[in-house]
Amino acid sequence: MGFLLRRIGFYVLAAWASLTLNFFLPRAMPGDPASAIFARFQGRLQPEQLQALREAFGFTEGPLFQQYATYLTHALRGDFGISISAFPAPVTTVIATGLQWTLLLGGLATVLSFTLGSLLGVIGAWRRGGLVDSIMPPLLIFIGAFPYFFLAMLALYFFSFYLGWFPLRHAYSSELRPEVSLAFVGSVLYHLVLPASTVVLVSIGGWVLGMRNTMISVLSEDYIVMAEAKGLPERRIMFRYAARNALLPNVTSFGMALGFVISGLLLTEIVFSYPGVGYLLIKAVANLDYPLMQGLFLMITFSVLAANLVVDLLYVRLDPRVRVR
Amino acid sequence: MTVSAQQQATWVRNFNPFVGDNRFPTVNGVYEPLMIYNTIKGELVPWLATGYEWGDGNRKLTFKLRDDVQWSDGQPFTARDVVFTFNLFKEHTGLQGPGGQAMTGETAYIESVTAPDDTTVEFTFAQAFTPGLYDIANQNIVPEHIWKDVADPLKFTNENPVGTGPFTEVAVFQNQVYEVHRNPNYWQPGKPAVQGLRFPAYPGNDQANLATINGENDWAGNFIPDIEQTFVAKDPEHFGYWFPSTGATVMLYLNTTRAPFDNVDVRKAISMALNRDQIVEVAMYGYTHPADATGLSDAYPNYKSERVVQAGSELVTRNIERANQLLDAAGLTRGAGGIRQLPDGTPLRYDLNVVSGWTDWVSACQIMAQNLREVGIEATVRTYDFSAWFERVQKGDFDMSIGWSSGGATPFNYYRSQMSQRSFRPVGEAAGENWHRYVSQRADELLNQFAATSDLAEQQQIAEQLQQTFVDELPAVPLFPGPMWYEYNTRRFEGFPNEENPYAVGSPFGMGTPEQLILMTTVKPK
Repeated sequence: MGFLLRRIGFYVLAAWASLTLNFFLPRAMPGDPASAIFARFQGRLQPEQLQALREAFGFTEGPLFQQYATYLTHALRGDFGISISAFPAPVTTVIATGLQWTLLLGGLATVLSFTLGSLLGVIGAWRRGGLVDSIMPPLLIFIGAFPYFFLAMLALYFFSFYLGWFPLRHAYSSELRPEVSLAFVGSVLYHLVLPASTVVLVSIGGWVLGMRNTMISVLSEDYIVMAEAKGLPERRIMFRYAARNALLPNVTSFGMALGFVISGLLLTEIVFSYPGVGYLLIKAVANLDYPLMQGLFLMITFSVLAANLVVDLLYVRLDPRVRVR
Repeated sequence: MTVSAQQQATWVRNFNPFVGDNRFPTVNGVYEPLMIYNTIKGELVPWLATGYEWGDGNRKLTFKLRDDVQWSDGQPFTARDVVFTFNLFKEHTGLQGPGGQAMTGETAYIESVTAPDDTTVEFTFAQAFTPGLYDIANQNIVPEHIWKDVADPLKFTNENPVGTGPFTEVAVFQNQVYEVHRNPNYWQPGKPAVQGLRFPAYPGNDQANLATINGENDWAGNFIPDIEQTFVAKDPEHFGYWFPSTGATVMLYLNTTRAPFDNVDVRKAISMALNRDQIVEVAMYGYTHPADATGLSDAYPNYKSERVVQAGSELVTRNIERANQLLDAAGLTRGAGGIRQLPDGTPLRYDLNVVSGWTDWVSACQIMAQNLREVGIEATVRTYDFSAWFERVQKGDFDMSIGWSSGGATPFNYYRSQMSQRSFRPVGEAAGENWHRYVSQRADELLNQFAATSDLAEQQQIAEQLQQTFVDELPAVPLFPGPMWYEYNTRRFEGFPNEENPYAVGSPFGMGTPEQLILMTTVKPK
């Protein structure tokens, strides 16, 4: 229990630190957000109107510490203000347009990639020098080294445009409305195939290699020899004894990867026109949309923190040594 | 009808015509202006108003409105709605729209707006300013009975708009697609012939182009490289495009507050050094043509003077020898490495600023840098993020920069942006136009005369003198007029404008142009 409280205390501190950074970082960027809006009008606005806009957006507010205090109280209430690039929609509304799809696509791809990758790593290490071990890691690392953008474009062009097997864009068919029905869920899954599989393809290599390498060192431990000597079934040794211990470093990375799901799918979303939040981040930066940027950054940091907390809890379950300390 | 006009990964519901990020076709689709300026024909087309009249020494502008127009909720449209819309700008700062320039800020020229009866609106000017006609005619009108209850029009997302336009009913709104269906009470009987417009979300140009090439979009405003091959060749019978060069002219701005760009001969020499044919062919894929010396795009058939274009043709024709002569005569002698120097020995070494990622402009700048090296000016292309670039040009903190210019129905706005005290701001102060900081007394006189008369023949004559002044003083270097991106697909709909049938510019770009209303009410299902 003491362990958990200490961890949670640490996370609260980290959250505060990230909130503060989140406030100051965008303000260190060059340029001025009102100018960016102004630009869309290509000379059709006069500087006086620009000034009026600035006042309307509240860019002329008081000294920095005062802004900081307002920012903190609003952030605690979950109010990130009004987005500048999608003015006058509130930041929360803008983020809500794509969040569930990013979580679905990113979560699914990460979980799949982690599970499949770890499994392949276990099998590869168990049958060292076998077919899986000699072909899989180099091949997957090779594919993973491709620029993702290129691979995704290629997949989109070939499978969707040329062969017409998969949809060209979006998270579900535009003929359907979101509802709980077989047709809709089917459409969602169908639209997921290509984006998710390209993500899995480029990221799986790391999991395989990581798992295989730790697995090999675990396999040379005395307790594995002991288990074999006791005549335990092969599968039991492989998964319950070796894999469980070898999994620990991978679980840490898994936590990190889950946290980065929100930010990491930018290219996938752009190539497959998948309605997510990754693209919003680019748009926010391009338009110097501080409120939207802050909302997104905060979500990313919080999700990394939350994922790490989950990993910490998982560790307690997986590794009894943590509980003792 | 499937349309690709805006590019977003997900749609945010917003149909407020007074803010920057509203969904197409809020402006000029859901809402309508009093009259539409047709840039191809060079005339004002009656729309909600049947006509206008100047009076009281051009200090009073009266519009007669149609009496058969209804809002999409069935309420009648009257002159009170027009008065209300314009007064909205006065009561709430920060609202955007052409009416804002008329009503607020230093530029305000309207004293009052009144409605003597239900079909008449009178604008009283503080002083004669006839180019204001186009701002006023262009302003989209909103219904008083809805908007009078809106507390803050700047923050209103107007999810279910009530307008007079051809498409008002938001039938579907999802994060990846939305549909706006036709107005049941539209005032043009039998129109629009199209059931509704449908907008899939495309996060970028590549995705939008893929769909357009695939025949999924019926109407699009995308930039497609090598369009004959990549698009038209897929289905020559149905696929078409038309890129009229009626957009604002792209310019090379030289900071005229700094030597040697304060010397008109140096500016002329730089203009002669440029290979505009190559810029247009390579950087712009041949989609436009080199600008003439007046800098006016093709949107001014009524005003452009063939005589001045001829007189200035030397300035926009590549002539290295003549450019070198002019620079020699300006006292800029060649120094080490063939680079010219100011009389005090400073070499002519400058950054040529451009926005990173605007690939057509970057490539145009690279060609220009090469051209300038041939006449002994070393220009280095510097790419900046948009806002950093914009801050520099606005504040006059640059030597050379590529940039857009101002458009409008008459050449007034363009010349005001290029060489007038009206647009001048000192270096260090943000300027919306006139980034090169140039004032011509002669031009100001002419602009004042232009703004005081409403007689077209007289305006044409003044415009010719303005063009002559621009060519004489060359405050900035015109490069090429901007093309208006527009593609269409006649598999399911017909009646799109094109080069053979140029009834209006068809570009459904960003916030849209008033002319798109003409297209929307002309196109029919097959």
